[in-house]
Amino acid sequence: MDHSEAVQQMAAERYLLDELTPDAREAFEEHFFDCRECALDLRTGAAFVEEAKAQLPGLAGARPAPVPSRSLKIKREWWLSWLQPAFAAPAFAMLLLVVGYQNMITLPALRDSANQPRLLPWAPLHGATRGAPLAIAADRRHGVALPVDLPPQPSTGTYASYSFDLYDPQGKLAWTGAAAAAADDAGDAQRLSLVIPGAMLRNGAYTVAVTGIAAHGERTGIDRYVFNLHLTD
Amino acid sequence: MQFSSFDADYVRNLCAGDRRTQEHFVGYFTELLQLKLRSRLQSPHAIEDVRQETFARVLSVLRKDGGLRQPERLGAFVNTVCTHVLFEHYRSKTGGESLDVEGRPELPDKSASALDIVAARQIKDKVREILLGLAPRDSSLLKAVFLDERDRDEVCREFGVDRDYLRVLLHRAKQEFKTEYEKRVGNQMAMGANA
Repeated sequence: MDHSEAVQQMAAERYLLDELTPDAREAFEEHFFDCRECALDLRTGAAFVEEAKAQLPGLAGARPAPVPSRSLKIKREWWLSWLQPAFAAPAFAMLLLVVGYQNMITLPALRDSANQPRLLPWAPLHGATRGAPLAIAADRRHGVALPVDLPPQPSTGTYASYSFDLYDPQGKLAWTGAAAAAADDAGDAQRLSLVIPGAMLRNGAYTVAVTGIAAHGERTGIDRYVFNLHLTD
Repeated sequence: MQFSSFDADYVRNLCAGDRRTQEHFVGYFTELLQLKLRSRLQSPHAIEDVRQETFARVLSVLRKDGGLRQPERLGAFVNTVCTHVLFEHYRSKTGGESLDVEGRPELPDKSASALDIVAARQIKDKVREILLGLAPRDSSLLKAVFLDERDRDEVCREFGVDRDYLRVLLHRAKQEFKTEYEKRVGNQMAMGANA
């Protein structure tokens, strides 16, 4: 064994830990008797081990308790406080309630509304010019269905599509939609149904503005419908 | 002359009975011989017997004309002589029979001086500092291996470490200790001027 092998193999540590095979031990002994560096290395390790053996038994009582830094302590406390039973138990109970409500009430209702036929209050709209705003009663559970009668086109193909703008009681644009113009001959009125879900409904005056859009993009106001919504729930 | 390696001058001075050279020789090789012998002999008396017999035989050979052809290999020669003495010790019927023979040259016994006592205190303090700086798991690991002398593999399994971890732990502690050790004890291994 030469010096580089002894260093690479951590021969001194292996020797002190009694890990060397008999041949390796003899080879290392032959080396360190001749190598001042390895001899010092081994003697250092042996001296450390001997002294450590004397001191280790009495060390447990002398070891100072680790004191975390203040910021770390505060950070640990902040984290830990949320995991204490006093906080964790009510938090988990609340979480369970929310999850349960969503799974038992909210999601089934949403599935039903998407997959099942519904009966909705129906209130035909009149144009604003035809008289006082229409009073409509509705509830948040069902929403409201508003049939819109589009007047016949002046001539076939005047409008390629229609734009519908819904303004809420604050006058803000709450929704905008479009529908293609019927391909029928002019002279026939087109009827559509505007369904407003209950979640959108507020008490007050709503306006539906209908705009005809020509094929080349020109927009022409057709009608405005105003209705006073009264929520029953 | 600061000791850097064994050479012809060193061997000549040793054979001539130069006290400082002899003290150095004894001090340097005693610890190495004890490390070699403690894993092979149980009895401290047997270790001491073999050590002294080794020194005596080495000096006997050195004092003969052409005794050691390669002075720079003095260390290897001491190791070889020790191995032979050890085999003789194994072969002896009683095993505890003293190998001391009258008329052999006596080597100076190195007694502790005041400086040695101070150095020992400083070494103790340094080791304590290193041990206190270890993680509790690491100091428990060292205790299990060296103090409790438990099976290494079992200890590694219990602590969830492998043999490499144990080796590196010892290596780092040794390296941290080395500077202090070399400062306090290493100088004793260096010969002064006019040796």
